[in-house]
Amino acid sequence: MSRGWLLHAAVLGLVLLILAPFLWLLQMSLKTQADIFAFPPRLAFVPTLEHYRTIWDTAFRRSFANSAIVAVLSTALAMMLGVPGAYALSRARFGAAGTLGLWILVSRMAPPIAFTIPYFLAYRHLGLLDTRAGLVIVYLTFNLSLVVWLMRSFFDATPRSLEEAAWIDGAGLGQAFIRIVLPLSAPGLAACAILCFLYAWNDFFFALILTRTEAMTAPVAVVNFMNYEGWEWGKIAAGGTLVMLPVLVFSFVVRKFLVRGLTAGALRG
Amino acid sequence: MAGSAVLERRFHRWCLAPTLAVLAVVTLLPTLYLLATSLTPLNLTQPQTAWDFSQPARNYHLLLADARLRGSLWVQLQLSLWTVGLQMLLGFGFALLLNLRSRFLEALRTVFLIPMVLPPIVVAIIWKVLYTPDISPAHWALAALGWPMPALITHPAYALPAIIVADVWEWFPFTMLMILAGLQMLPQELVDAARIDGAGAWRLTRHIVLPFLRGVLLVAALFRLIDSIKAFPLIFILTDGGPGTVTEVTNYYSYLQAFNFSYLGYSSAITVVLLAATVALSLVILRAAGWGPRSE
Repeated sequence: MSRGWLLHAAVLGLVLLILAPFLWLLQMSLKTQADIFAFPPRLAFVPTLEHYRTIWDTAFRRSFANSAIVAVLSTALAMMLGVPGAYALSRARFGAAGTLGLWILVSRMAPPIAFTIPYFLAYRHLGLLDTRAGLVIVYLTFNLSLVVWLMRSFFDATPRSLEEAAWIDGAGLGQAFIRIVLPLSAPGLAACAILCFLYAWNDFFFALILTRTEAMTAPVAVVNFMNYEGWEWGKIAAGGTLVMLPVLVFSFVVRKFLVRGLTAGALRG
Repeated sequence: MAGSAVLERRFHRWCLAPTLAVLAVVTLLPTLYLLATSLTPLNLTQPQTAWDFSQPARNYHLLLADARLRGSLWVQLQLSLWTVGLQMLLGFGFALLLNLRSRFLEALRTVFLIPMVLPPIVVAIIWKVLYTPDISPAHWALAALGWPMPALITHPAYALPAIIVADVWEWFPFTMLMILAGLQMLPQELVDAARIDGAGAWRLTRHIVLPFLRGVLLVAALFRLIDSIKAFPLIFILTDGGPGTVTEVTNYYSYLQAFNFSYLGYSSAITVVLLAATVALSLVILRAAGWGPRSE
């Protein structure tokens, strides 16, 4: 019994150690500029929302909205295009499945700069630089592959017998897919959508290169607080906290599915 | 019944066609464009250089002679080997710990995932704070203990290790997750049988657990290896490739060539090489995990 307690205490200590860097940023965002620079660091201080208020009154608010809009649209598009394809890949036996697997894996793993250069050049001519539409399209490069990859293994695990029963009852193939398969897969679909949202939300590199002011996303806006003289640490911490907030909330919601999604279906089954 | 099989096939084709068409437009077309620009001396400040295919192999010849590129590959190699190695070790250790049967540990599992789900840019900011002597609690604590620490990210000898530490923190949960999933598939009979034969914890790990996990370990390491080629936000925020070029990985060098120096053609050639490495490593993953053409 006492060994169990000792182990738990040790693990708790480890968890705190691992989370300390993250918690430090959180508490920094609630400190006044003077408290941030106070040495020794004050653990007991009067929290203030001053930095949140200041950045919310700047262009940051717009960037935050851009991030949300782009992430939602790109997720919706990736799901609409990817889910039927994933279903077909799961149910049919296509000869070229192996090649397709490589293609999808490479799209997910490719260094972003491989897509950024051609998109940057093409967008200059298409007038898509610094637009939200441009970002939505770029995010399809990784989100569409993610949807196909995840939902295919999800559909693999759902039994065929229910669709077959629906066909026998006279439902068409499309009807069976929409009325039977999709509702049964609702939890998987929701989790997959949240993961797509998170990947789009977390992107930094594409937004850094492909946007300037109009379509700038929150991660890039936070970094811009670093460019002014005097390093506004309070603003940086508050901005960083706002950017990670949706991520933490959504991750908690899908924590069970997260394991599968984050390893990108790396483990079959 | 034969009629319905044909119908089914047709339905599947219709489901798959839009997916593949869009995927081709958003991924294959840009790749071809990248290959094309890599054969030109494209420089945005000189418009006549676009689509100039007079010396297609020139960029690739330049690659071979570029000392800064070679340097970046060496930095990349160090970063990749250290981060992947440390992440595998830490991941394995934490996975063994979290695999113990305990409700408390199960509840904690999600908490361990926080570093890897955070937006990479926030991770970079967190470490920037920790590495800035003015405001860093770590610098203060060490100074209070009588071991003042130099500013790591501006120090030629410590900048790369500083990035490695931050990267390991961010991504060890990934290897931990994969190994944990592997451990949970370990058949209990195997463990029991070895125990009956008198195997201790060490021999159990060495002769039963590790061989069982070989596939998972390989795939986890390969995933991290490919991802380590992409390292960007940490370097961008913490060191900007410096001091000098000591933390300039190949991906970062390519970014500088394209978007700071405007040599998009040359940068494309570097990127093609990185992409080829990604394809090769992905092929190894598919082989290792046995997801070629499906056999079931």
